[in-house]
Amino acid sequence: MTRENIVLLATFLALLFFQPFVFNQFQLFGSINPLVYILFLVLYPFDQEQALFIVLGFCLGLGIDFLGQTAGAHTVATLTTAFVRPKLIRYAYGSTAEIPARYIDDSRTFNNFLFLVFLITFHHFLYFIMVYFSWDALGLIANNTFFTSLFSLLLISLISRFYSK
Amino acid sequence: MQRILNALIQFRNVVLYLLLLFIALVFINGNSEFHKTIFSRYGFYVSQRFQSINHKITYFFSLSEVNKKLLDENTTLKALELQNNSIALYPDALTQKARFPFKVIGANVIKNGFLSQRNYIILGRGKAGGIQPEMAVISKNGVVGLVQDVSENYSNVISILHEDMKINVRLKNNRAFGSLAWKGKHPQDFQIEDIVTSAQIGVGDTLITGGMSSYFPVGIPLGKVVQLDSSQLDGYYTIDVKLFEDPSQVHYVYLLENQDREEIKDINQKKNP
Repeated sequence: MTRENIVLLATFLALLFFQPFVFNQFQLFGSINPLVYILFLVLYPFDQEQALFIVLGFCLGLGIDFLGQTAGAHTVATLTTAFVRPKLIRYAYGSTAEIPARYIDDSRTFNNFLFLVFLITFHHFLYFIMVYFSWDALGLIANNTFFTSLFSLLLISLISRFYSK
Repeated sequence: MQRILNALIQFRNVVLYLLLLFIALVFINGNSEFHKTIFSRYGFYVSQRFQSINHKITYFFSLSEVNKKLLDENTTLKALELQNNSIALYPDALTQKARFPFKVIGANVIKNGFLSQRNYIILGRGKAGGIQPEMAVISKNGVVGLVQDVSENYSNVISILHEDMKINVRLKNNRAFGSLAWKGKHPQDFQIEDIVTSAQIGVGDTLITGGMSSYFPVGIPLGKVVQLDSSQLDGYYTIDVKLFEDPSQVHYVYLLENQDREEIKDINQKKNP
């Protein structure tokens, strides 16, 4: 086990703990809870085996759902985001450009930012779709996605700085 | 098998994703009543769609069966209609329980025509189907002919479009009766020549069967008077009639069996030996 894997595992477990017990208690402006746990989807190396990543995404979402007493919206959103992450990476860094091995390795600030925005927005949108699960609530879904994404983006970009070498 | 495995390995991420997604949706379904309701609503919608397609397909293949049932039902209803038509013409119909001796059998028309002066119709039902000679043949909206010969599975009918065929008719709102015969040209143009001029008749009056023969029950609607001519000096009208239905275009007919025929024949013979 390399040091990197240990760090990832520790992050995984820490997020599993912090999301339900810390971040879910924020309730900014009444109801906004930043979903910081998808930091794991950002940090996981880009060049690793995709199948394992999908399983890990599923486990992470499932864990958050169990600990946060939610039905399964986190599982679906996280699993799907993990599945489409290669596509999001392509869109963020350019389909012909060299893809970095890790998020934290890259120095292209704008592309990093774009990647975070794509990943977080996609995940949150899916999450709120699963929560409300009705076309009538589309306005509510968009609204929640936007504001929650804003706070998640802020926290995730802050926290991910600690992982840079 | 090798290829299936290869495909599975090639698309393992997609397969894995779909599998896990399915598990996640099962979790949601189990954990949340709200999601469960919505899932079951969609499930109901989908299953309803499939049921409906399934129903359409099976219904299509059972159409011939349905058709047969409907024809049977029509035959039963036709018997009731005939009974009803004839009973209503008697003034004391409601106080007496009238006997109705006619039995109805349905049959398909195999050959029909109007080109000759003596037309015959062939029906796809014969002795085996309960058909006997001299049974009356009617259609949905009128009279078609009389059975002449019967084989095992087919019967030959003298069409009403036959120059020797005369049918006893009367007017619906008048007791005057006469014989209806084909003019020999258009299959709907008929003529009556033996109604006396003292009878009150107008253009547009409805003609029904007279019931004077033992073949047809009284009261089957046949056609309408289109022209009246009393210029001949012999005291009889010449009435042009247009039938309600073209007898050469009939594809399904009803055969009437008069169960009292033998009795009527007997009593007739005793009177005129």
